[in-house]
Amino acid sequence: MTIRGEAPGRGSPAQATDSLADLLGRIAARDAAAFSALYKATSAKLYGVVARILPRGDAAADALQEAYVRIWEKAGEFDPAKGSPLAWMATIARNRALDEVRRVRPGSLEDLPESFEPAADEVDPLAARERSEGLVKLLNCLQALDEEKRAVVLLAYYRGLSREALALRFGRPVPTIKTWLHRSLAQLRDCLAS
Amino acid sequence: MTVTPDDDFAAAEYALGTLDPSERAVMAARRLREPDLDEAIRAWEARLAPLAEAAGPIEPPRDLLPAIEARIRSATPEAPGNAAVASLRRSVTRWRAAAIAASIIAGVLAVGFITRETTREAVPHEYVAVLQKDAASPAFAITVNLDTREFTVRPVAATAPPGKAYELWLIDPKIGAPRSLGVIAADSATRRANLTQYDRAVVEDATYAVTVEPPGGSPTGQPSGAPVFVGKLIPVGP
Repeated sequence: MTIRGEAPGRGSPAQATDSLADLLGRIAARDAAAFSALYKATSAKLYGVVARILPRGDAAADALQEAYVRIWEKAGEFDPAKGSPLAWMATIARNRALDEVRRVRPGSLEDLPESFEPAADEVDPLAARERSEGLVKLLNCLQALDEEKRAVVLLAYYRGLSREALALRFGRPVPTIKTWLHRSLAQLRDCLAS
Repeated sequence: MTVTPDDDFAAAEYALGTLDPSERAVMAARRLREPDLDEAIRAWEARLAPLAEAAGPIEPPRDLLPAIEARIRSATPEAPGNAAVASLRRSVTRWRAAAIAASIIAGVLAVGFITRETTREAVPHEYVAVLQKDAASPAFAITVNLDTREFTVRPVAATAPPGKAYELWLIDPKIGAPRSLGVIAADSATRRANLTQYDRAVVEDATYAVTVEPPGGSPTGQPSGAPVFVGKLIPVGP
């Protein structure tokens, strides 16, 4: 694949079979066509991550844009030994979304989304059909948590809920939520290490 | 792992996303300077990352890819400002050299260096920091006089995004939430003496962070987002 900075190639047949890791390798070498292919292969997945945290479409689109710029910049840092390409990209995208949702805003604390998009329904990873080895292991550990505590972790992960929002949702004081989080995360860490 | 249990929980909550905005900003600044903490955050991100697989896909707006491609084209190495970066890199080398020289030869060289390069007056207890996003992109240089608590920030390769301002923050666990040191100019040196209210130990140990804010600075008195540039002071004076 040649580097074409001007006109990123569209749908070259070879791209369909390229693994995401190969694409990241080529992007690290500034291959714009590989970037375009990577975007097409992964943008709906990453948008699924950021749009659940940022229900307002413009904010989600901005976060996705920032995430892909960062993926372009950092592609050379991807290390397959530390996780899948998608996990690496999703972490970048999710961090962008969290930075946005945790920005301190003047005025109203909760700028309540006018459109609570139905697309952003609750995710139940336990119902996921395709599961990587990593997901299977994590789900096994999550299942060892009490149902309520598991829900807290999953809502924080998928919806980016703050401790305050979780406290409201579960009718508990914020310090209780914090304690739950710490215990649950410690339990997950120990379970994953075993 | 070498982080404290408290830091590991903070890393876990950072990765999960449940820290409040100022806690998140503090962690974002600290991870750039503390490799062990950064490693702890990455470990937590890796533990949780498989969950992303289970999030169902949602089609993003169609016009996004061309916008992203335009941005990455303009961000590729030939972007303007590189000369300034290279020049700052040389300055950093000189500062490091100055710091070492100061400790070895009783500051004679370093004082001469400061006189020429930074303040035009030889003052003791001068500290400098380079505020940067990563090792390759320094943006501001800050000099602090620990005796007068006066500081000067100079832009090196910084350009504020249109309609936005840069605000400088002092971040240190000893003072709790980040404290604003005011909006700083992106095109000229900013000199202030508002570090007087802080202990010497705070001024010396703190992380100096720059965030992007609305014109006039953060309306809430807290950083609106994660810092874009951070740095810690190193001594130059005798």
